[in-house]
Order: sequence, then C-alpha cells, then structure tokens
Amino acid sequence: MHFEKRASSPRSVARTVWDSVYSVSQAVTGEAAYAKTCARCHGAALSGGDESPPLTGSGFLGNWNGLPLSDLQTRIRTTMPTDSVGIYDRQLITDVMAFLLKANGFPAGSVDLPKDVEPLKDITIQSSKP
Amino acid sequence: MPSVFWSNRVSSAAVILGLVASGSAVAQATKKGAAKAVSSTATPPFTTSRGEWPSYTGDTRGSRYSPLDQITAGNFGALEVAWRFKTDSLGPRPEFKLEGTPLMVGGVLYATGGTSRAVVALDAATGQQRWVHREDEGDRGAAAPRPLSGRGLAYWTDGREERILYVTPGYRLIALDAKTGARIPSFGTDGAVDLKTDIDQTILPDLVTGEIGFQGAPVVARNVVIVGAAFKEGTAPKSYKNNKGYIRGFDVRTGKRLWIFHTIPQKGEPGYETWLNGSAADAGNTGVWTQLTVDEDLGLVYLPVESPTGDYYGGHRPGNDLYGESLVCLDLETGIKKWHYQIVHHPIWDFDLASAPILADITVEGKPIKAVAVPTKQGILYVFDRVTGKPVWPFEEKPVEKGEVPGEWYSPTQPMPTKPRAYAQNGISIDDLIDYTPELRAQAVAIASRFKLGPIFTPPVVSKADGPIGTLARGPTNGGSNWPGGSYDPETHTVYVASSNAAPVVLGLVQPSKERSDMNWIAGIATAPGTGGGGRGGGLSVQGMPLFKPPYGTISAINLDKGEITWQVPHGETPDAVRNNEALKGMNIPRTGQSGFIVGTLVTKTLVIAGDPQVTTLPTRPRGAMLRAYDKASGAEVGSILLPAPVSGSPMTYAVNGKQFIVVAVSGGPYSGEYIALRLPDSGQR
Repeated sequence: MHFEKRASSPRSVARTVWDSVYSVSQAVTGEAAYAKTCARCHGAALSGGDESPPLTGSGFLGNWNGLPLSDLQTRIRTTMPTDSVGIYDRQLITDVMAFLLKANGFPAGSVDLPKDVEPLKDITIQSSKP
Repeated sequence: MPSVFWSNRVSSAAVILGLVASGSAVAQATKKGAAKAVSSTATPPFTTSRGEWPSYTGDTRGSRYSPLDQITAGNFGALEVAWRFKTDSLGPRPEFKLEGTPLMVGGVLYATGGTSRAVVALDAATGQQRWVHREDEGDRGAAAPRPLSGRGLAYWTDGREERILYVTPGYRLIALDAKTGARIPSFGTDGAVDLKTDIDQTILPDLVTGEIGFQGAPVVARNVVIVGAAFKEGTAPKSYKNNKGYIRGFDVRTGKRLWIFHTIPQKGEPGYETWLNGSAADAGNTGVWTQLTVDEDLGLVYLPVESPTGDYYGGHRPGNDLYGESLVCLDLETGIKKWHYQIVHHPIWDFDLASAPILADITVEGKPIKAVAVPTKQGILYVFDRVTGKPVWPFEEKPVEKGEVPGEWYSPTQPMPTKPRAYAQNGISIDDLIDYTPELRAQAVAIASRFKLGPIFTPPVVSKADGPIGTLARGPTNGGSNWPGGSYDPETHTVYVASSNAAPVVLGLVQPSKERSDMNWIAGIATAPGTGGGGRGGGLSVQGMPLFKPPYGTISAINLDKGEITWQVPHGETPDAVRNNEALKGMNIPRTGQSGFIVGTLVTKTLVIAGDPQVTTLPTRPRGAMLRAYDKASGAEVGSILLPAPVSGSPMTYAVNGKQFIVVAVSGGPYSGEYIALRLPDSGQR
C-alpha cells in the first residue's frame, strides 16, 4: 500500500539523490500536482517560462548541487505557487519533489521520499553520479 | 575580505595601471554631480554622464552604459563588498527572485525589494537605510499576475522637487517624495493612481482579482510617466478572452492620464482589420511587460509589445493581430502612433518583444541614422531608423512552414533581417545536438526523434504520446535575450547582448477540459500518466547535460555602423553537470557558457560586465556564481569575482565621493534577495 511505504526511513548515513530515494508511485502523484499547479509557469516539460526557471537540466542542477533536499523543500514550501503560497502541504510538495527527481533522471527506488525535514537534510543533491 | 568572495586577481602591475587611468574621470564625474546639485535646475534628459544612474537603464534609451572608468581590467578582480542589503524583511517572507536594478541620484540609491515590492532609499556610499515605503494591498496584491519585488522604479525632478514613481503588484502607480518616502498627496488620489481604472475597458472580473499588472519600472521622460501592462504566463490561459494591455502616459505632476494607446485596436481604428472575424473584441494581453524606451530629444516612445492571448495557439484570433509582437513608436506627449513594425506576424511562438529597445545614433555607409535596435528571444537584433520605422538593413518576408493544428491560422511569411546575422541559436537540427561522444550524440538523437525539429518559425503541433510530443524549439519563451536586454556603447556604436542557446521548449498543444480552459488548444504534453517528465534518457537533457552543442550562452558585441558581430564569447562557467560528467571523463571541455535568460550587461568606459546565470561549484572555490568583466574591445575576460548566487537583475554603476560602485541584485535557488555593492579597496588597504 502506498501509505505504508511512507514510514520514514531511519536516520542513516548521508545519502545522495542517486541512492533511489523516492518511489515511482510517489513521482506519479507529484506529476499530477505539478501538471495542475506548477506547469502553467514552469512548463509542461519543466523547461521554464518567461518568469520561471527550468526545473530540469544543468541550470537547475547547478543551483542545487551539493545542497540537501530539505533546502529545496523549504524553498518550494515558502514561495510556491507565487500567487497562493501554502496551498500544498508538506506531503504533496515532497511528492512534487519526487517527480522533479524523476524528471532529472535520478533513479527511483521502492520507498517514498520522506516528507519531514530532518531525514531530507541527510539527502544531498548531486548533479553528477558520485 | 568577505569569505563568499573569491578574486581572480590580475597582476599588480595591471592594478597600478588601472588606478592611473581611472582617477581623473571619477573626480570629474563627482565634480559635475556637485555642480548639478548646487544649481538645482537640472531636469531630464536622464544621463549617466555625471556618475549617476537616474533611470532604469541608466538613461531612458535602453543603454545601460556609464562612462565611469575607475574599475578597469587591471583591478576588477580586486573588487570587494562595500555594503550589502538583504531584502528578506521588506515583505512577509523572503524573496528568491530579486530582479531590480536600482537608481542612484545625488548620493542616494533607490531600489525595490521584498515580496510585497517595497521601495527603499539607501545611502549610496554605505548602504544605510534612509527610508522604506511599503503598500499593503491585501487580496489585490496577492492576486497580482506579476508579483514580487519588480524590476525597479523611476525618478523625476523639476530641479526643486524630487519624486520616485513605481507600480505596485496590485497595479497602482505610486508617487513618493524622494527625500522622505512619503506619498505625494497632490498626485492621483493621495499619491496613488489606480491603474485598473480609466483604461478604456472594464478590468474583469473585478478590481481585486482582475488580471493585469506590471513588474517593470515605469519610465519618466520630460514630464510624462509611462506604464506597461502584463498578465499571467500565457502558454495555457484559462480563456481566449482576457483583459487588454493598453499602454498609458500620465502627467508626472498630477497623475492625470495624458494618453492611452490601444495595443489591440478598437473598432474603427487602424489595425482592427488585422484581427479577422472581429476577434479583437475578445482577445487580450498584447501589453508591454518589459521596459519601455524613450527618445527625450525627439519626443518619441518605443513600445516592445508582447504576444496576444494564447502564446502557442492563435486560432481564436485569426489574422496578423496588430500590434502583437510589434515595435510601436508613439509621440511622447500625445500617445499618437508615429509608426509600427510587426516583427512576428500572427504570433504563436511566444516571441514577445522582451527586451528594452536600444536607441543608437549610428553611421551606416557614411550616412548618419538615428536608429533603434531590439534584441529578441529569436536572437536576432532588429534594427530600424527610429524616425521613419524603416529597417536600416532590409528585412525579407521569408516563407515559413504552415502548420496543421486544427483551427489555427498561419502567416505564410515572417520578416527576417538581412543584417546583422543572428547572435543566438534559434532553430534545431540534428547537427546542433551534443556530440562530445558518439554515445551522447546517439542519445540526443533518440530524444530528438520524439519531437518535430526545424528552423526558426517551425510551428507548434498537436502533442501525441507516441510522437511528435511537440515541436522542439530554441528561442520561443526563454531563448535568446529576455527582459535584462542589452547595452549600448555610444562611443563605439556597439550593442552588447547576452543570449541563451540551450533552453529548449516544447511547442506541443493539447485540448483542455472545459473546466481548465475555453481555448481550443493550450500548451501541454500528451503522455500516459506516470511516464511524463522523461528523465536523463527521455527529458530535454542528455545525462544531465544540455541537448545541444555549446556554447550554451554567449555575450555578443554587434557593431551597428556595420551591422556585424565583432566578437562573441561563451558566457558562464561550464555547468557542474557537464564538468563533472562521467561520460566526459578524461576529455578537455573548453568553457561552454551557460543558458539562462537573466543575464543583463553593463558597459562602462572599458568593460562589459555580466553575471553567470547559474551556480557552479569548483574544486578551487566554493559554490557561487561569477560576476565577470570583459574587455569591451576584444571580448577577452579580464577579471571575475565570486558572488554567493547568480546576478538576477541587470547590474548598474555610479560614483560617490570619488569612488566607483557596481551594484548587483543577487538571488536564486536557496539564496534570498540581496543587493550587493562592490568597489575597490582604499589604496592603503591593498
């Protein structure tokens, strides 16, 4: 069951986004949310718009390279969507992040990305495979 | 020196030379500035010749030029932080998209900042805050189509009184006393003009949520303040009907409307007939969301007009759709149209005119021409005689592909300048794809095979999950040059402009649900649920790298006497995802530059200055984004310093107390907005 998989992973050694940190089903949930709310500015192909940066590719990866996923979550949670900040809860934002990880080519695994800040602090965004 | 900085220092001999060359010019600039303050009669024209930066682009001509020369090739790398101003507390929460270019007049720096677009006045030498002004717009501000801190403001003086003017997120024009930050009671209603009223249409559905706004800086020229109009991102609008982006001029003293220009002509006005079936009635948008340019001597305003409603689909507005994606010249005092030129007929590529037009007094084959040059998303510089509207070098109406989207109307031709040649990549063929290794090329070809490819003006297609997903395009929406625009050097008659080459967009159309939109087609991608987004093998990048060959971004110098590119250099560090890529191990990759449309240029006596649009992390320095200086004659990079995040608004410069400053807005990713002022260390501290 989808919900059972959400049990937070134990705080463990530092991981990166290459360590299969989200599940495909979570990315599917996130994709639907992205299409509904985020795509109107960031584009259906995540390629960006006149006012919004791309969410895939070397620019996106460079901006977040070396930073923990908790930083990305905080940025989305406190600023997006710009005209209705706060409409998405932490869970849905984390699902959208799973979709972004998938779209950027990071491998999926069998466990969902945890929604809580602490475990996300232990997962680093690495633009290239370590 | 602050730890966030990393200087690429040049030799000490060069530093000394730089000092010698620079001292006198700044002293002169300061003296002239002082003289102006004493006589107190100076009014526009706006100029940077006194070491100030009194209008958004320095002047009202789109120049982003200053004659200051204390900061040179020899000492750029020695720049240090004079002061920094964090904008977090100017709004209810921090902002991560600070796009402002401040003004500097009489030793005071004025800037916008914060999520509710506050205005601050700072001491230009120290960064100390003098005053802050903030409007609480409640639900109206929250509903703004162009929210956040905006790009700047306008200054006006009659030699006695000084004013600051800006547009709020809720689309109100505010006039402030430049000395105190208090509203000017005699302007509009208690210092404010409601821009959603007196606009020759009823803004729907109501004044609070009615979609129209402006995040640019208003422009003041003579005693007229001109305001643009902008809307939400338009690739997938809710309706083919929308509010119209009419452009207005107001009396800078009273706030009274002086004129309005109907960017979508009303019935009976010339151009109405270019909207077939009376479609002008329902069509909207077609505003000016970027910066307007004014020739104060000739008394002419230049409007770079955006796309009509539906960025990628125009079936609800058949015809050429004037003045969509046109350059329009108006009389400054009356708003009466002098001429127009439609750069893209029947716009369906989101080729908004996104950059401020640049005024240039040039000499072509011995003949002096007052010209206007428009950088574009297409990466084409369109150059006109700004008095007559005739192209300086002929444009050819070139046949373009007719698309097959049901209900769409297609222009059979599009204008293409014969000179200068394009300064950015603006089409896609297999030859353009990444070819560092045969494997990478094969992967890129596999990705590209799912799309329709073609030259500029290849039309959008109906998206099909089994292909084509869409037309893959470079230029539309976020390629070439965008709102930061270019710079113009009046000494060498050269335009300097950045371009983004590796930001493809998908021109795919899907039929929306009735709840989603009443458009026949909106932008979208047909994919089975769960398969979208692609990934390294299936998205728009190859193993995290751009799909294309470098350079991913450039700065070009274009001489307007000759209509020729004199130099072009890759701009931006090689992205981490390329430099560290497994697939390129052992290969020597020359600097690729970076894609990104936030790159604004500043040109000084000797330098072209611009920031990297992306963050990089090198073994030799911490993460950050470089601010670079190029020799404006050769394009050779002569210095760089590290900033904590990309420069997200066009840089500006000024001199106070004999010191030249460069101020940049910095933000992006996890880094919230900050203005950083740079200057050379005092000589004793070197």
